[in-house]
Amino acid sequence: MYTAWTVKHKPKSLAEVIGNKETVQKFVDWIKSWDKGVPKKRSAFLYGPPGVGKTVTVEALTADFQIELVEKNASDYRTEDAINRFAGLASQYGSLFGGKRIVLLDELDGLTGTADRGGVKAITDIVKTAQCPIVLIANNAYDPRFSNLRNYCLLVEFKKPPAGEVTKHLRRICILEGIQADDEALKFIAQRSGGDVRSAVNDLQALAQGRKSLTYEDVSWLGYRDRQDTIFNVLRMIIYGRTCTSAKQAVGMADVDIDMLFEWIYENVPEHLTDPHDLARAMDALSMADVYRGRIRATQDWSFTRYVIDYMTAGVTMARQNTKAQGWIPFKFPARIQMLSRSKAERAMQLSIGNKIKRKCHISANRASKEVLPFLGIIFKNNADMAAGLAKWFDLDAEMVEYLAGTRKKTEKHR
Amino acid sequence: MSFEMWAEKYRPKTLDDMVNQKEIVERLKSFVKSRNVPHCIFAGPPGTGKTTAALCLAKDLYGDAYRERLMELNASDERGINVVRETVKTFARVRSIGEIPFKIMILDEADNMTSDAQQALRRTMERYTETCRFIMCANYSGKIIEPIQSRCAPFRFTFLPRDEQDMYLKHITDDENVKLLKEGLDAIFEVCGGDLRKAINTLQAAASLNKPVDAKVIYSITGKASPADVRKMIETVMGGNFLDARKQLRDMIQKYGVAGSDIIRQIHTEIFRTEIPEPWKIRLADVVGEIDYRLVEGADEEVQLSALLARLVEAGSELRKAS
Repeated sequence: MYTAWTVKHKPKSLAEVIGNKETVQKFVDWIKSWDKGVPKKRSAFLYGPPGVGKTVTVEALTADFQIELVEKNASDYRTEDAINRFAGLASQYGSLFGGKRIVLLDELDGLTGTADRGGVKAITDIVKTAQCPIVLIANNAYDPRFSNLRNYCLLVEFKKPPAGEVTKHLRRICILEGIQADDEALKFIAQRSGGDVRSAVNDLQALAQGRKSLTYEDVSWLGYRDRQDTIFNVLRMIIYGRTCTSAKQAVGMADVDIDMLFEWIYENVPEHLTDPHDLARAMDALSMADVYRGRIRATQDWSFTRYVIDYMTAGVTMARQNTKAQGWIPFKFPARIQMLSRSKAERAMQLSIGNKIKRKCHISANRASKEVLPFLGIIFKNNADMAAGLAKWFDLDAEMVEYLAGTRKKTEKHR
Repeated sequence: MSFEMWAEKYRPKTLDDMVNQKEIVERLKSFVKSRNVPHCIFAGPPGTGKTTAALCLAKDLYGDAYRERLMELNASDERGINVVRETVKTFARVRSIGEIPFKIMILDEADNMTSDAQQALRRTMERYTETCRFIMCANYSGKIIEPIQSRCAPFRFTFLPRDEQDMYLKHITDDENVKLLKEGLDAIFEVCGGDLRKAINTLQAAASLNKPVDAKVIYSITGKASPADVRKMIETVMGGNFLDARKQLRDMIQKYGVAGSDIIRQIHTEIFRTEIPEPWKIRLADVVGEIDYRLVEGADEEVQLSALLARLVEAGSELRKAS
C-alpha cells in the first residue's frame, strides 16, 4: 500500500521537529503560559514558507502535552458563519472532559475573498475573546488582510531549516526504510528542496522507494525532472519525424543546450530504431555531428554548429526508413552523463591503487590499474587471508580494500 | 601460500637467476664484468623481463648500494617534457661516488613518452653520458625517435617459450604449495602467451580460490580480469544486441579507462578473424579506418565507436538473412 513518507515519517514529538528550535521553544512557552491563566495574546500566528514544519509542530506539541487538537484548514469552508460555528464553540468553553484544547486554523492564505467572505473578521473576533489557545498558520503573516488580526497575535516565524538538518532527516527516513543512501545523494535532494522538508521527503520517496540503495547518480538528474516533458516531445519529433524542417525546429523547443540534446538523442536513438539499417544510418549521422563538433573545437568557428544540428536532428530523422513508429517507449535520461561522475571517482580509486602497486611492482600506475588490479580484485573477493597479506604488503587503506573486495556499495544504474 | 605479489616475490634478483632471454642476459653479464654499460633500449612485449633485466643489471653492478645509483621512472605516468627537464636532468648530472662513475636511469614504458620529451632527453643523454646511463624499456622500439635509437644498444626481448614459462610456474607452484593441473598450465599459456607477469598474476589469482587450478578456473579468471573483451563485444553486437554492446563499450571506456585507439585496434584484428562474408570484411575495414582517423582527430570515442558497432549490427543481420 502506498503511504506518503511525509505522513509516515512525520515527527511524532517536538524533539523530532527539524530546525527552528528557538521558534518552537517560543511557541511552547506561550502554550505553557496558558496554565497560569489567559495570556495577553490569545493567539499564536505561525508563519513561514511551505514545508518548514508549522503544522507538524502544532501536531507534535499536542501529542507531547496531550492536548486535544481541533483543526480547520483550507479544505473546509471558512465563511464567517462556518468559522463562528466551529471556532466559537471550541474557544469559549474548555474541553468536554476538562482537558486542554488547541484550536488550529491552518492555511489561512487559502481564505479567498468571495467563498470565505468575512472569514478574517470572524477569526479576529474569536481571537479577541478566546478562552483557549488559538493557533493560526499562514505562509505570509504580513498579508494586508491580516493587518488587524496580527495585533492580537503572538507572531512566531518559522525559517527554512539548514540543508544539513534536512539531510539528517532524510538519512533517518532511509534508515527506517532500509535504504543505503549516499550522503551526496541526500545532500543533493536536501539542497534542491531549498529548505522545504516536505518536498524533500516527497522527492526522496519518488527516487528511493522500493530500492535498496540510492546514489548520487540516481538523483542528479532530478534537476531535469521539470524539463522532461519538453525534452520527450523534442526527441519524439526528431526520432519519429518525417521532414528535415520539423526535426531541425525541434532544437528550438528543447531547453537544454546542443551538447546535452546530443546526449539525449544519442542515448535514445538505439532504444527506438530497431531496424539495423536505420540504426546504422542514425548512428552514422550522430557520429558525423560529433565530427563537426570536433571541427568547431579545432577552428573555434562556431558557425559550424549548423552542421552539427543538421546531422543530429535531420540526419537522425531521415535515418528511419524501416522502423515503424511504435507504441509508447519511454525516453531515457542520458546514462553516460550519470555515469561520468561515478566513473571519475572509480578511476581515481583505481589509479590510487595503481600507485600503490607501482611502488612495489616496477610498473606504471596506469598499467598496474589495468593489468594487475583486476587480479587483485579476484584475490580480494575470494581469499581473505591472502587479501589481508597483500593489503599490508601494498599498504592499502580501508577504502581501497573495500573497493577491491567489492564490498563498497555498488552503484546501480537508475531505472 | 605467501601473501605478497608472487610476480614480485619470484622476480629474479640477479642476472644469474634469469632463466630466459639467454643471449641478452649473457651480454648484460659482460657489461657487469667490464664495469661499463652503454645506453640501452630494451624492446619487447610485456612480461618478458625488460624491467627485471634492467634491475638485475643494476644490482649486479652496484651490489647493495644499487638503490642510490638507480632511478626508475615510469614514462607512462610521467611522460611530459618537464619530467625530463627536471627529474631526469637532476638525477643524471650528479656524479656518483664509488668505483663506477655513472648511475643508471631506467625509463620504463619509454614508448609512451611524448616526442617533445624524447627530444629533450636526447640532449640530456649526450651531455651527461659520463654520469648517467639510460635504459629505455619499451614495447615498440619504433615509437622511440631515431636519434635516441642510434645512441642506444638495442636489445630485443621475445615472449618466453612454452617450456621456460612452464618451468617458472612450476617453481612457484612447488614453493607455494599450489596444485596446478596440466590442463591449467596449458590454459595459462593459451591466454597469456609468453607474458610471464600476466601468467604469474593469473596463477596467483587462481590459487587464491584454494582449489586445484584447472583450465576452467583459469578461463573464468582471465574472463573477469580482461575488461577490454572486444571479442565478446563483437559477438554481442553481431548477435544484434546493440544496446548491450554499447553498454560494454561504455564500461570499457569509462570504468576501465581503456583507450579508444586500443579498442579500435582490437576490433580491426577481430573483424578479419570473425566469420563474415569476405566482401564485408574490407567494407568494415574501411569504416574502422575512418573511425580510427576521427579518434586521432579527437572525436568522442564512445560516439564514434558505437557508430562502428551499429555497422556491425547491420553486418550481423545481413549475415543472418543470407544463411
